[in-house]
Amino acid sequence: MIEVKGLAKTFGQFTAVAGVSFEVREGETFAMLGPNGSGKSTILKSIAGLQRPTEGTITIGGVNALKAPLAARKLISYLPQRVGFHDCLTAHEVLEFYCRLRKLPISRIDDVVHSSEFNFNGFSEKRVSELSGGMKQKLGLAIACLADAPVLLLDEPTVSLDPAGAIAFRKFLKKLKEKGKTIVFTSHVLADVEMLADRVAILVDGKLTAVLPIEELRQQIADRDRSLEEIYLEYASAA
Amino acid sequence: MELSSILPIAHRELIVAIRNKWTVIFAFVFGSLVLAISYFGTITAGEIGFQGFNRTTASLLSLVLYLIPLVSLMMGTQSFLRNEGEDEMLFSQPVSRSEILTGKLLGLFAAMTTATFIGFGVGGVVIATQTDAEGFLGYPVFVLLSLFLTLVFLSLSMLAAIISQRRTKAFGLALLLWFFFVILYDLLVLGGSLLLKERSANYFIFASLFGNPVDIVRVAGLLSMKGGEVFGAAGAALLKFLGGYGQAIAALVVGLIVWTAVPILASFRLLRDQDI
Repeated sequence: MIEVKGLAKTFGQFTAVAGVSFEVREGETFAMLGPNGSGKSTILKSIAGLQRPTEGTITIGGVNALKAPLAARKLISYLPQRVGFHDCLTAHEVLEFYCRLRKLPISRIDDVVHSSEFNFNGFSEKRVSELSGGMKQKLGLAIACLADAPVLLLDEPTVSLDPAGAIAFRKFLKKLKEKGKTIVFTSHVLADVEMLADRVAILVDGKLTAVLPIEELRQQIADRDRSLEEIYLEYASAA
Repeated sequence: MELSSILPIAHRELIVAIRNKWTVIFAFVFGSLVLAISYFGTITAGEIGFQGFNRTTASLLSLVLYLIPLVSLMMGTQSFLRNEGEDEMLFSQPVSRSEILTGKLLGLFAAMTTATFIGFGVGGVVIATQTDAEGFLGYPVFVLLSLFLTLVFLSLSMLAAIISQRRTKAFGLALLLWFFFVILYDLLVLGGSLLLKERSANYFIFASLFGNPVDIVRVAGLLSMKGGEVFGAAGAALLKFLGGYGQAIAALVVGLIVWTAVPILASFRLLRDQDI
């Protein structure tokens, strides 16, 4: 579904991503794990069409994302690490705006708000200025779900959620996964990775050090009596 | 570009400007300005009371040439500046970057147009009820020119925000643009013309008129009032070179269109290659 080949991104002298290649299969949940500044968000932003790679190609559903960005963006929904909306609008107005932008019927808002387990109810008439960080994150996720796009790109999605919110969010993502969505997410929260990912990419200093199926990681945890954190740190320090 | 992508963005921008009270504030400022200038405009001559449209429009024009560029640059820069979380979500939608910029520009322009119509409209109605209608036709032309000036400076604010990217730099550049076009430019032209011989100076003044949208609007406003005696050097040179009112107005309108289009196109080009 997503093919990233030789992706590189430099900002002046700083190399954020150095020739990364990987594939994400249709219906797969792919996690990108790495310390701060390892290039996870840059890769995700490049796939979402927000940053132009210095080198490399990105293909989404057979569409070259660099040559046909609009066609590629129709196939994705992106949730940034920090969401932001105009304070004076209500959550419902924000959802309505994104519905119109993607040329979706307004009834789609009710489908998303009422059908999910991720409790979007109760805040749609509130103004953004009255929403907590977690509620804003939920609103961002609701927007990402509006288009029912086949690919979901989530940058540190549980970072502003409280524990209950994070658990509900994981359940919600599992539901989306069962529906066959292709999900790519970055995270520092290893619980997210362990629960959701089919495969895990470990990034250090803009380089991909390993891409492992989650079963292999679980096997290593069991065989070597180590935690996921310890195994992750081993890969990171070996790079 | 698709209108169905541009309109929701324009609509949102308009709603945000109305809810943030900008539109109401500017409408109040414009309305108060019209009434104050009309009522107190001749206080130095020892008179007080509403003046007709001719005098009011002429006095308003000079004030508006300071105020509208400033207001448009500030409001536009604030809106076109990056808001990380908001922009990442917006720019990842299947909408082109030029559609996003066009939508924002139209929304802001709609907000300023609403404020202008309400402020100048209410003021105009009060003057019409208090005085005779002499010179009334010049008033709507003046309002139209104010809107054109708004559009030009909103486009320039878009370019300033895209070039600068950072808040302080963008507002600094916007203020610099205001200072250059509203204060400095005429002084430079005046200084330049003094260094030239009469014929060359006339050409220089004529050409320099099109280098500043504020001057274009000033001369167009004076032309529309047919106030030949108050044209100043630029207006006189314009009429001399173009041969009449019709040609002069057409040239000025083309000048304003170019001043609107160039910053917009430059912004499209610059944003195309920028990272969000």
